[in-house]
Amino acid sequence: MEKWECMVCGYIYDPAQGDPSRGIPPGTPFEDLPEDWTCPDCGATKDMFEKV
Amino acid sequence: MNRYVIIGNGVAGVTAAQSIVRAQPGADLHIYAAEPYPYYRRPQLPDYIAGIVAEAAIFYRPPEWYEQQGIHVHLNAPVVELDPSAYRLRLAGGTSVPYDRLLLATGGLAWVPPIEGADQRGVFTLRTLDDARAIRQFAQFVRQGVVIGGGLLGLETARALRALNLEVTVLEFAPYLMPRQLDREGAAVLEGLLRQMGIQAVTGAVSEAILGDGSVRAVRLKDGREFPADLVVCSTGIRSEVTLARQAGLTVARGVVVDEHLQTSAPDVYAAGDVAEAGGIVYGIVPAAIEQARAAATNMVTPGSITYSGTLPVTTLKVVGAELTSLGECVAEGDDLLQLRRADLQNGRYRKLALRDGRIVGAILLNEREHISPIRQLMESGTDVSAWADLLMEENPDWNRIR
Repeated sequence: MEKWECMVCGYIYDPAQGDPSRGIPPGTPFEDLPEDWTCPDCGATKDMFEKV
Repeated sequence: MNRYVIIGNGVAGVTAAQSIVRAQPGADLHIYAAEPYPYYRRPQLPDYIAGIVAEAAIFYRPPEWYEQQGIHVHLNAPVVELDPSAYRLRLAGGTSVPYDRLLLATGGLAWVPPIEGADQRGVFTLRTLDDARAIRQFAQFVRQGVVIGGGLLGLETARALRALNLEVTVLEFAPYLMPRQLDREGAAVLEGLLRQMGIQAVTGAVSEAILGDGSVRAVRLKDGREFPADLVVCSTGIRSEVTLARQAGLTVARGVVVDEHLQTSAPDVYAAGDVAEAGGIVYGIVPAAIEQARAAATNMVTPGSITYSGTLPVTTLKVVGAELTSLGECVAEGDDLLQLRRADLQNGRYRKLALRDGRIVGAILLNEREHISPIRQLMESGTDVSAWADLLMEENPDWNRIR
Protein backbone atom coordinates (compact mmCIF):
# COMPACT_ATOMS: atom_id res chain seq x y z
CA MET A 1 0.00 0.00 0.00
CA GLU A 2 1.19 3.51 -0.75
CA LYS A 3 2.52 5.97 1.77
CA TRP A 4 1.34 9.58 1.65
CA GLU A 5 3.25 12.65 2.75
CA CYS A 6 2.01 15.88 4.32
CA MET A 7 3.00 18.83 2.16
CA VAL A 8 3.08 21.14 5.15
CA CYS A 9 5.14 19.32 7.76
CA GLY A 10 6.55 16.16 6.20
CA TYR A 11 4.53 13.64 8.28
CA ILE A 12 4.19 10.37 6.39
CA TYR A 13 1.00 8.34 6.63
CA ASP A 14 1.94 4.67 6.53
CA PRO A 15 -1.09 2.40 5.96
CA ALA A 16 0.77 -0.44 7.67
CA GLN A 17 0.60 1.55 10.91
CA GLY A 18 -2.67 3.40 10.50
CA ASP A 19 -3.33 6.23 12.95
CA PRO A 20 -4.12 4.72 16.37
CA SER A 21 -4.73 8.15 17.94
CA ARG A 22 -7.84 8.55 15.77
CA GLY A 23 -8.85 4.94 15.94
CA ILE A 24 -7.58 4.20 12.41
CA PRO A 25 -6.47 0.53 12.45
CA PRO A 26 -3.29 -0.69 10.76
CA GLY A 27 -3.91 -1.72 7.16
CA THR A 28 -6.15 1.24 6.32
CA PRO A 29 -5.29 2.67 2.87
CA PHE A 30 -4.98 6.46 2.71
CA GLU A 31 -7.97 6.62 0.37
CA ASP A 32 -10.17 5.04 3.05
CA LEU A 33 -9.36 7.60 5.75
CA PRO A 34 -12.40 9.70 6.68
CA GLU A 35 -12.63 12.98 4.77
CA ASP A 36 -12.28 14.94 8.02
CA TRP A 37 -9.07 13.14 8.98
CA THR A 38 -6.18 15.57 9.45
CA CYS A 39 -2.41 15.34 9.76
CA PRO A 40 -1.61 14.13 13.29
CA ASP A 41 1.46 16.38 13.44
CA CYS A 42 0.28 19.72 12.03
CA GLY A 43 -3.46 19.44 11.44
CA ALA A 44 -3.33 19.87 7.65
CA THR A 45 -6.38 18.52 5.82
CA LYS A 46 -6.34 15.23 3.90
CA ASP A 47 -6.09 16.91 0.49
CA MET A 48 -2.76 18.49 1.51
CA PHE A 49 -1.20 15.02 1.23
CA GLU A 50 0.60 13.66 -1.78
CA LYS A 51 1.66 10.15 -2.68
CA VAL A 52 5.29 9.44 -1.75
CA MET B 1 -9.27 38.43 -17.35
CA ASN B 2 -8.66 39.05 -13.67
CA ARG B 3 -5.10 39.41 -12.49
CA TYR B 4 -4.59 37.67 -9.14
CA VAL B 5 -1.69 38.66 -6.94
CA ILE B 6 -0.65 36.91 -3.73
CA ILE B 7 1.87 38.44 -1.35
CA GLY B 8 3.53 35.67 0.60
CA ASN B 9 4.79 32.20 -0.21
CA GLY B 10 4.04 30.19 2.91
CA VAL B 11 1.25 27.70 3.57
CA ALA B 12 -1.52 30.30 3.11
CA GLY B 13 -0.06 31.83 -0.06
CA VAL B 14 0.70 28.55 -1.80
CA THR B 15 -2.61 26.94 -0.78
CA ALA B 16 -4.55 29.93 -2.10
CA ALA B 17 -2.60 29.86 -5.37
CA GLN B 18 -3.42 26.18 -5.85
CA SER B 19 -7.09 26.83 -5.16
CA ILE B 20 -7.21 29.68 -7.67
CA VAL B 21 -5.66 27.70 -10.50
CA ARG B 22 -7.91 24.77 -9.69
CA ALA B 23 -11.03 26.96 -9.83
CA GLN B 24 -9.84 28.85 -12.88
CA PRO B 25 -7.24 27.00 -14.96
CA GLY B 26 -5.04 29.39 -16.90
CA ALA B 27 -5.69 32.25 -14.46
CA ASP B 28 -3.21 35.13 -14.51
CA LEU B 29 -1.69 34.49 -11.10
CA HIS B 30 1.41 35.89 -9.41
CA ILE B 31 3.06 35.22 -6.06
CA TYR B 32 5.47 37.79 -4.65
CA ALA B 33 7.80 36.48 -1.96
CA ALA B 34 10.16 38.50 0.19
CA GLU B 35 12.40 35.50 0.83
CA PRO B 36 14.65 34.14 -1.94
CA TYR B 37 13.37 30.58 -1.50
CA PRO B 38 10.52 28.62 -2.99
CA TYR B 39 7.98 27.21 -0.52
CA TYR B 40 9.58 25.36 2.36
CA ARG B 41 8.24 23.49 5.35
CA ARG B 42 8.44 25.88 8.24
CA PRO B 43 7.39 23.28 10.86
CA GLN B 44 10.52 21.30 10.00
CA LEU B 45 12.99 24.09 10.80
CA PRO B 46 13.81 22.73 14.30
CA ASP B 47 14.53 19.30 12.77
CA TYR B 48 16.71 21.01 10.18
CA ILE B 49 18.68 22.75 12.95
CA ALA B 50 19.03 19.41 14.73
CA GLY B 51 20.41 17.84 11.55
CA ILE B 52 17.57 15.31 11.46
CA VAL B 53 16.19 16.70 8.19
CA ALA B 54 18.45 17.80 5.36
CA GLU B 55 17.97 21.26 3.91
CA ALA B 56 17.02 19.77 0.54
CA ALA B 57 14.14 17.88 2.17
CA ILE B 58 12.41 20.96 3.52
CA PHE B 59 12.17 22.42 0.01
CA TYR B 60 9.05 20.57 -0.95
CA ARG B 61 8.15 22.67 -3.97
CA PRO B 62 10.98 23.28 -6.44
CA PRO B 63 10.71 26.44 -8.57
CA GLU B 64 9.56 24.35 -11.57
CA TRP B 65 6.50 23.23 -9.62
CA TYR B 66 5.06 26.73 -9.74
CA GLU B 67 5.42 26.97 -13.50
CA GLN B 68 3.86 23.51 -13.94
CA GLN B 69 0.86 24.74 -11.98
CA GLY B 70 0.65 27.91 -14.05
CA ILE B 71 1.72 30.06 -11.10
CA HIS B 72 4.19 32.89 -11.71
CA VAL B 73 6.38 33.09 -8.64
CA HIS B 74 8.61 36.11 -8.01
CA LEU B 75 11.19 35.31 -5.33
CA ASN B 76 13.31 37.84 -3.50
CA ALA B 77 10.66 40.40 -4.37
CA PRO B 78 9.50 42.20 -1.21
CA VAL B 79 6.43 44.38 -1.62
CA VAL B 80 7.05 47.74 0.03
CA GLU B 81 3.92 49.68 -0.80
CA LEU B 82 0.28 48.94 -1.44
CA ASP B 83 -2.25 51.40 -2.85
CA PRO B 84 -5.69 49.77 -2.67
CA SER B 85 -7.43 52.72 -4.36
CA ALA B 86 -5.17 52.46 -7.42
CA TYR B 87 -5.14 48.62 -7.35
CA ARG B 88 -1.35 48.67 -7.43
CA LEU B 89 1.60 47.63 -5.36
CA ARG B 90 5.25 48.54 -5.53
CA LEU B 91 8.25 46.23 -5.18
CA ALA B 92 11.48 47.08 -3.37
CA GLY B 93 13.19 47.56 -6.73
CA GLY B 94 10.64 50.24 -7.68
CA THR B 95 8.55 48.15 -10.10
CA SER B 96 4.83 48.90 -9.95
CA VAL B 97 2.53 45.88 -10.18
CA PRO B 98 -1.21 46.07 -10.94
CA TYR B 99 -3.81 43.65 -9.59
CA ASP B 100 -7.52 43.02 -9.74
CA ARG B 101 -7.73 40.79 -6.68
CA LEU B 102 -5.06 40.72 -4.01
CA LEU B 103 -4.31 38.31 -1.15
CA LEU B 104 -2.17 39.34 1.79
CA ALA B 105 -0.48 36.18 3.08
CA THR B 106 2.55 37.81 4.64
CA GLY B 107 2.47 35.57 7.71
CA GLY B 108 4.06 36.48 11.00
CA LEU B 109 7.27 37.74 12.55
CA ALA B 110 9.09 36.58 15.63
CA TRP B 111 8.29 38.99 18.42
CA VAL B 112 10.75 39.74 21.21
CA PRO B 113 9.71 41.65 24.33
CA PRO B 114 11.98 44.50 25.35
CA ILE B 115 14.88 42.63 26.98
CA GLU B 116 18.05 44.60 27.57
CA GLY B 117 20.97 43.29 25.53
CA ALA B 118 18.90 41.38 22.96
CA ASP B 119 20.87 42.90 20.06
CA GLN B 120 24.10 41.06 20.81
CA ARG B 121 25.95 38.46 18.80
CA GLY B 122 24.62 35.00 19.63
CA VAL B 123 21.02 36.09 20.19
CA PHE B 124 18.52 34.72 17.67
CA THR B 125 14.86 34.29 16.86
CA LEU B 126 13.50 31.41 14.79
CA ARG B 127 10.97 32.04 12.06
CA THR B 128 12.66 31.74 8.68
CA LEU B 129 15.07 29.39 6.97
CA ASP B 130 17.75 32.08 7.23
CA ASP B 131 17.19 32.18 11.01
CA ALA B 132 17.51 28.40 11.17
CA ARG B 133 20.70 28.44 9.10
CA ALA B 134 22.23 31.09 11.34
CA ILE B 135 21.36 29.16 14.52
CA ARG B 136 22.66 25.89 13.12
CA GLN B 137 25.90 27.54 12.02
CA PHE B 138 26.49 29.33 15.33
CA ALA B 139 25.57 26.29 17.43
CA GLN B 140 28.48 24.27 16.01
CA PHE B 141 30.94 26.36 17.96
CA VAL B 142 29.31 26.83 21.36
CA ARG B 143 28.46 24.83 24.47
CA GLN B 144 25.61 26.45 26.35
CA GLY B 145 22.23 27.39 24.92
CA VAL B 146 19.32 29.18 26.55
CA VAL B 147 15.85 29.30 25.01
CA ILE B 148 13.64 32.09 26.30
CA GLY B 149 10.04 30.91 26.00
CA GLY B 150 8.71 27.42 26.73
CA GLY B 151 5.93 27.23 24.15
CA LEU B 152 5.81 24.63 21.41
CA LEU B 153 8.42 26.30 19.19
CA GLY B 154 10.68 27.06 22.14
CA LEU B 155 10.67 23.44 23.29
CA GLU B 156 11.28 22.16 19.76
CA THR B 157 14.17 24.60 19.45
CA ALA B 158 15.58 23.38 22.77
CA ARG B 159 15.37 19.81 21.53
CA ALA B 160 17.21 20.78 18.34
CA LEU B 161 20.01 22.50 20.25
CA ARG B 162 20.28 19.51 22.55
CA ALA B 163 20.66 17.25 19.50
CA LEU B 164 23.68 19.37 18.60
CA ASN B 165 25.11 18.53 22.04
CA LEU B 166 24.60 21.89 23.67
CA GLU B 167 23.66 22.16 27.32
CA VAL B 168 20.18 23.60 27.10
CA THR B 169 18.02 25.55 29.53
CA VAL B 170 14.49 26.73 28.76
CA LEU B 171 13.26 29.80 30.61
CA GLU B 172 9.47 30.00 30.80
CA PHE B 173 7.58 33.00 32.13
CA ALA B 174 4.44 31.05 33.17
CA PRO B 175 4.36 29.03 36.43
CA TYR B 176 4.44 25.80 34.38
CA LEU B 177 4.95 24.70 30.77
CA MET B 178 2.20 25.01 28.13
CA PRO B 179 -0.57 26.24 30.44
CA ARG B 180 -3.18 26.26 27.69
CA GLN B 181 -2.74 22.56 26.96
CA LEU B 182 -1.50 21.16 30.28
CA ASP B 183 -2.30 21.38 33.98
CA ARG B 184 0.44 21.59 36.58
CA GLU B 185 0.69 17.81 37.09
CA GLY B 186 0.88 17.14 33.36
CA ALA B 187 3.50 19.84 32.93
CA ALA B 188 5.60 18.08 35.57
CA VAL B 189 5.55 14.93 33.41
CA LEU B 190 6.61 16.96 30.38
CA GLU B 191 9.42 18.53 32.40
CA GLY B 192 10.51 15.02 33.33
CA LEU B 193 10.63 14.08 29.65
CA LEU B 194 12.76 17.14 28.95
CA ARG B 195 15.09 16.26 31.83
CA GLN B 196 15.56 12.79 30.36
CA MET B 197 16.68 14.49 27.15
CA GLY B 198 19.09 16.63 29.12
CA ILE B 199 17.03 19.81 28.85
CA GLN B 200 16.46 21.86 31.99
CA ALA B 201 13.18 23.78 32.19
CA VAL B 202 12.92 26.71 34.60
CA THR B 203 9.37 28.02 35.07
CA GLY B 204 8.18 31.27 36.59
CA ALA B 205 11.34 32.70 35.03
CA VAL B 206 11.06 36.32 33.99
CA SER B 207 14.01 37.17 31.73
CA GLU B 208 15.21 40.68 32.39
CA ALA B 209 18.52 41.11 30.60
CA ILE B 210 20.88 39.37 28.24
CA LEU B 211 24.38 39.97 29.54
CA GLY B 212 27.54 40.23 27.50
CA ASP B 213 30.05 42.57 25.95
CA GLY B 214 28.70 42.43 22.40
CA SER B 215 28.62 38.65 22.46
CA VAL B 216 26.11 37.01 24.77
CA ARG B 217 27.45 35.60 28.04
CA ALA B 218 24.37 34.93 30.22
CA VAL B 219 20.68 35.60 30.76
CA ARG B 220 19.65 37.30 33.98
CA LEU B 221 16.21 36.86 35.50
CA LYS B 222 14.26 39.47 37.38
CA ASP B 223 14.90 37.57 40.62
CA GLY B 224 18.63 37.94 40.02
CA ARG B 225 19.45 34.38 38.94
CA GLU B 226 21.86 34.11 36.02
CA PHE B 227 22.07 31.36 33.41
CA PRO B 228 25.32 31.19 31.42
CA ALA B 229 24.76 31.16 27.66
CA ASP B 230 26.82 31.28 24.48
CA LEU B 231 23.68 31.19 22.38
CA VAL B 232 20.19 32.50 23.15
CA VAL B 233 17.05 31.87 21.12
CA CYS B 234 14.11 34.14 21.94
CA SER B 235 10.96 32.16 21.30
CA THR B 236 8.54 34.56 22.87
CA GLY B 237 5.81 34.65 20.27
CA ILE B 238 4.78 35.43 16.72
CA ARG B 239 3.05 38.63 15.66
CA SER B 240 1.23 39.22 12.38
CA GLU B 241 3.35 40.95 9.74
CA VAL B 242 1.10 43.98 9.26
CA THR B 243 3.61 46.59 8.07
CA LEU B 244 2.27 46.69 4.52
CA ALA B 245 -1.38 46.61 5.61
CA ARG B 246 -0.81 49.54 8.01
CA GLN B 247 0.95 51.56 5.32
CA ALA B 248 -1.96 50.86 2.95
CA GLY B 249 -4.46 52.13 5.53
CA LEU B 250 -6.24 48.80 6.01
CA THR B 251 -7.99 48.17 9.32
CA VAL B 252 -5.48 46.44 11.60
CA ALA B 253 -5.96 45.20 15.15
CA ARG B 254 -3.68 42.36 16.26
CA GLY B 255 -3.75 41.19 12.65
CA VAL B 256 -5.29 42.51 9.44
CA VAL B 257 -9.01 42.51 10.17
CA VAL B 258 -11.06 40.46 7.70
CA ASP B 259 -14.80 39.88 7.35
CA GLU B 260 -16.55 36.52 6.96
CA HIS B 261 -15.40 36.43 3.32
CA LEU B 262 -11.75 37.01 4.32
CA GLN B 263 -11.90 40.45 2.75
CA THR B 264 -10.01 43.26 4.44
CA SER B 265 -11.37 46.78 4.86
CA ALA B 266 -10.31 47.50 1.25
CA PRO B 267 -12.35 46.13 -1.64
CA ASP B 268 -10.75 43.22 -3.54
CA VAL B 269 -7.99 42.90 -0.94
CA TYR B 270 -8.14 39.67 1.06
CA ALA B 271 -5.99 38.25 3.85
CA ALA B 272 -5.36 34.71 5.12
CA GLY B 273 -3.08 32.84 7.50
CA ASP B 274 -0.97 34.24 10.32
CA VAL B 275 -1.43 37.82 9.10
CA ALA B 276 -5.24 37.69 9.27
CA GLU B 277 -7.52 38.39 12.20
CA ALA B 278 -10.84 36.66 11.60
CA GLY B 279 -13.68 36.99 14.08
CA GLY B 280 -11.27 38.70 16.46
CA ILE B 281 -8.79 35.80 16.38
CA VAL B 282 -5.31 35.49 14.92
CA TYR B 283 -5.12 31.71 14.83
CA GLY B 284 -1.48 31.11 13.98
CA ILE B 285 -2.05 27.42 13.24
CA VAL B 286 -1.73 25.42 10.04
CA PRO B 287 -5.35 24.23 9.75
CA ALA B 288 -6.63 27.82 9.98
CA ALA B 289 -4.13 29.01 7.36
CA ILE B 290 -5.32 26.30 4.97
CA GLU B 291 -9.02 26.89 5.59
CA GLN B 292 -8.72 30.67 5.29
CA ALA B 293 -6.56 30.46 2.17
CA ARG B 294 -9.10 28.23 0.43
CA ALA B 295 -12.04 30.42 1.37
CA ALA B 296 -10.20 33.61 0.38
CA ALA B 297 -9.17 32.08 -2.97
CA THR B 298 -12.73 30.99 -3.72
CA ASN B 299 -14.01 34.47 -2.94
CA MET B 300 -11.28 36.08 -5.03
CA VAL B 301 -12.50 34.07 -8.03
CA THR B 302 -16.21 34.48 -7.21
CA PRO B 303 -16.73 37.26 -4.65
CA GLY B 304 -18.96 36.50 -1.70
CA SER B 305 -19.35 32.81 -2.53
CA ILE B 306 -17.91 31.24 0.66
CA THR B 307 -18.28 32.19 4.30
CA TYR B 308 -15.54 31.42 6.81
CA SER B 309 -16.81 30.81 10.30
CA GLY B 310 -13.64 29.96 12.18
CA THR B 311 -11.37 26.96 12.69
CA LEU B 312 -11.61 24.48 15.55
CA PRO B 313 -8.47 24.53 17.67
CA VAL B 314 -6.07 21.62 17.14
CA THR B 315 -6.40 18.98 19.81
CA THR B 316 -3.22 17.00 19.28
CA LEU B 317 0.28 18.34 18.95
CA LYS B 318 3.71 16.84 18.98
CA VAL B 319 6.04 18.32 21.50
CA VAL B 320 9.63 17.12 21.81
CA GLY B 321 8.53 13.82 20.33
CA ALA B 322 5.68 13.35 22.79
CA GLU B 323 2.08 13.32 21.66
CA LEU B 324 -0.08 15.73 23.62
CA THR B 325 -3.85 15.76 23.23
CA SER B 326 -6.04 18.30 25.02
CA LEU B 327 -9.79 17.81 24.72
CA GLY B 328 -12.72 19.90 25.92
CA GLU B 329 -12.38 21.51 29.35
CA CYS B 330 -8.82 20.28 29.67
CA VAL B 331 -7.47 22.90 32.06
CA ALA B 332 -10.71 23.95 33.77
CA GLU B 333 -10.90 23.98 37.56
CA GLY B 334 -13.99 23.99 39.76
CA ASP B 335 -15.91 22.27 42.54
CA ASP B 336 -18.30 20.73 40.05
CA LEU B 337 -15.44 18.88 38.34
CA LEU B 338 -14.00 15.57 39.45
CA GLN B 339 -10.39 15.37 38.26
CA LEU B 340 -8.91 11.91 37.78
CA ARG B 341 -5.17 11.86 37.21
CA ARG B 342 -2.64 9.20 36.33
CA ALA B 343 1.00 10.26 36.02
CA ASP B 344 3.68 7.81 34.89
CA LEU B 345 6.92 9.77 35.22
CA GLN B 346 9.05 6.77 34.30
CA ASN B 347 7.49 6.47 30.85
CA GLY B 348 6.55 10.10 30.40
CA ARG B 349 2.83 9.36 30.29
CA TYR B 350 -0.02 11.37 31.77
CA ARG B 351 -3.79 10.98 31.71
CA LYS B 352 -6.15 13.51 33.24
CA LEU B 353 -9.90 13.20 32.91
CA ALA B 354 -12.30 15.89 34.10
CA LEU B 355 -15.79 14.58 34.94
CA ARG B 356 -18.93 16.60 35.51
CA ASP B 357 -22.06 14.75 36.63
CA GLY B 358 -20.32 11.48 35.78
CA ARG B 359 -19.51 12.48 32.22
CA ILE B 360 -16.07 13.17 30.78
CA VAL B 361 -15.97 16.83 29.76
CA GLY B 362 -12.23 17.33 29.44
CA ALA B 363 -9.04 15.34 29.02
CA ILE B 364 -5.28 15.77 28.86
CA LEU B 365 -3.40 12.86 27.34
CA LEU B 366 0.38 12.80 27.08
CA ASN B 367 1.82 9.82 25.21
CA GLU B 368 -1.50 8.00 25.53
CA ARG B 369 -1.96 7.48 21.82
CA GLU B 370 -4.05 4.31 21.92
CA HIS B 371 -6.49 5.75 24.49
CA ILE B 372 -7.34 8.99 22.68
CA SER B 373 -9.97 7.53 20.43
CA PRO B 374 -11.96 5.62 23.12
CA ILE B 375 -11.88 8.63 25.45
CA ARG B 376 -13.01 10.94 22.70
CA GLN B 377 -15.91 8.57 21.99
CA LEU B 378 -16.94 8.51 25.65
CA MET B 379 -16.88 12.32 25.69
CA GLU B 380 -18.90 12.64 22.52
CA SER B 381 -21.49 10.07 23.55
CA GLY B 382 -21.84 11.67 27.01
CA THR B 383 -21.64 8.23 28.62
CA ASP B 384 -21.98 8.17 32.42
CA VAL B 385 -18.66 6.71 33.57
CA SER B 386 -19.01 7.43 37.29
CA ALA B 387 -19.13 3.70 38.10
CA TRP B 388 -15.81 3.14 36.29
CA ALA B 389 -13.44 5.54 38.05
CA ASP B 390 -10.93 2.77 38.86
CA LEU B 391 -10.93 1.39 35.33
CA LEU B 392 -10.47 4.88 33.83
CA MET B 393 -7.15 5.16 35.66
CA GLU B 394 -5.81 1.70 34.82
CA GLU B 395 -2.66 1.63 32.73
CA ASN B 396 -4.40 -0.05 29.83
CA PRO B 397 -8.16 0.03 30.42
CA ASP B 398 -10.41 -2.35 28.56
CA TRP B 399 -12.62 0.44 27.22
CA ASN B 400 -15.14 -2.02 25.83
CA ARG B 401 -16.28 -2.81 29.37
CA ILE B 402 -17.82 0.64 29.69
CA ARG B 403 -21.28 0.50 28.24
